[in-house]
Amino acid sequence: MAAYYLFGTFFLLLLLGVPVAFALISASLVTVLYLGLPSVVVVLQTAAGASFASLIAIPLFIFAGELMMRGGISDRLISFAASLVGRARGGLAQINVLASLFFGGVSGSAIADVSAIGGTMIPQMVRRGYDRDFAVNASISAALAALLVPPSHNLILFSASAGGSISIADLFAAGILPAILLTLTMMITSRVIAGQRGYATEDFPGFRAVLVRLVAALPGLLLVALIFVGIRAGIFTAVESAAIAVGYATLITSLVYRKLNIAVFKEAFTGAARTAGLILFVIGAAASFGWLLAYLQVPAAAVELLTSVTSDKIMILLLMCILLLVLGTFMDLAPLIIICTPIFLPVAKAFGVDPVHFGIILVLNAGLGLITPPVGSVLFVGTAIGKIGVMQAVRTLWPFYLAALFVLMLVVFVPALSLWLPAVFR
Amino acid sequence: MTASDSPAADWSSGSLARLADLVLLVAGLSLVALAMVEGWQVFARYVLNDSPSWTEPVALLCMKLAMMLGAAAGVRAQRHFGFFILVHAAPGIVQRLMLAASRLVQAGVGLLLLGWGLRLSIETWDVSMAGAPIPQGVGYVPLWLGGALIVLFACELLVRDPGLQQEDR
Repeated sequence: MAAYYLFGTFFLLLLLGVPVAFALISASLVTVLYLGLPSVVVVLQTAAGASFASLIAIPLFIFAGELMMRGGISDRLISFAASLVGRARGGLAQINVLASLFFGGVSGSAIADVSAIGGTMIPQMVRRGYDRDFAVNASISAALAALLVPPSHNLILFSASAGGSISIADLFAAGILPAILLTLTMMITSRVIAGQRGYATEDFPGFRAVLVRLVAALPGLLLVALIFVGIRAGIFTAVESAAIAVGYATLITSLVYRKLNIAVFKEAFTGAARTAGLILFVIGAAASFGWLLAYLQVPAAAVELLTSVTSDKIMILLLMCILLLVLGTFMDLAPLIIICTPIFLPVAKAFGVDPVHFGIILVLNAGLGLITPPVGSVLFVGTAIGKIGVMQAVRTLWPFYLAALFVLMLVVFVPALSLWLPAVFR
Repeated sequence: MTASDSPAADWSSGSLARLADLVLLVAGLSLVALAMVEGWQVFARYVLNDSPSWTEPVALLCMKLAMMLGAAAGVRAQRHFGFFILVHAAPGIVQRLMLAASRLVQAGVGLLLLGWGLRLSIETWDVSMAGAPIPQGVGYVPLWLGGALIVLFACELLVRDPGLQQEDR
């Protein structure tokens, strides 16, 4: 009965428009009072939930991302991406996909990423004669791959939500192949549609220009490599590598690119605080909710419930994918990862799914939920930026959506896609 | 002229906007301090070969301050994660009622954090944190400070009723 209070209050408040973090704390409070426990439990759990040392990496990665975005690193990565793929049919869409892979995912909010990258790319594409629906659909699907690679901290969030027992280095390595596969799939889809619609190509700037832009973008690419190699080789912890990323981005943007002055630095740290505050508060709020889930033995009940429906591993994975897609339509990535991990991970483990593999499935699935019609929140943001109706975008979204769904199914049913690289690097 | 259009309302809204700016600035500086503390940790560990014990509790304190102040500023800016499609779709009066209910819930949560945070802070002030000579009660300061600001900003939204519009600060 208490679990009904917990979920009932949460979903009711969410539908009423109460922000996720506040709905989580309120639902926990109602349930705690129903159980006759003192209300201080909710406050203590919320405070404790935001006191894990491994979480420190999250605000620091967000800070590093802001510095990259405002200090000129991102511009150079886009410029390099443009020189690589711009001459393909529908060049700006290809640039969009590749640029998203290079530096998307820094904010931890897919909505914020689409606002940032889509806000630049969609108007540019429209000016160059691309249809608005195509510009929107290419942008919102491009953001998916970025969720799986550093400096995106979604996988750190998954590791923390799982109790910190899953190696972040393994998760980062596991995300690489699915991210590349998704990027290639989106580029091919964009290319096919652009061909059908007769969109323009960008001029090839010549190999010399590609080399020049590569050199200019190298510090940014090195930053991602530094994070990955540092953690993978066991030289740094995730937190240390995040701190190094902040220091490195500060040095590069101020000394090499000379774009970081006091005003830009202030914009970067206040921007980072704005995003980090929201994400960390959801993490803290979800801790009291998660504590109650464990107290009420909800994960065990979920395993039991799903086992009673089917004992087939494939069916269970498909069932979880559908549930996550549905949940993903009305919740942003960070809260979804934090809330769903303690419920679904025990189920996945009970059916022999590797936790690292499950982490990639969860993040990709939740990301896809955000563009799922008719109510995916990233879909809404994208159409708002592109100034078109949601249904106008949905009518032509399906090739992108099906392509992403195809990659998701490959990731779900071919575990080697996620688990091969971590094993190689180990 | 409604209550929210009066000069007094303009003045209080302007003051709270400046307060929100200040809150965000302090939250951002906490992140800068966090990066510096962790940077020192890396330097001490790899260059000086000596891991200081104070860095972790201080870094956690900075993170909690950034979290609570950032969350409070997010209340005023209406930037928290949520599912707002039904609110957007609701007709005028229903939308206003839903928004008022949401702000009341936010103020209630702020009050909970303020009340218990303050009590926990006072009760643990005489005990030191593990690894740093800082009272444990300091660790709860962000909780009640953020809670107080959440109450303030949520009540302001309740009175001012800016609709669903997000603010820059």
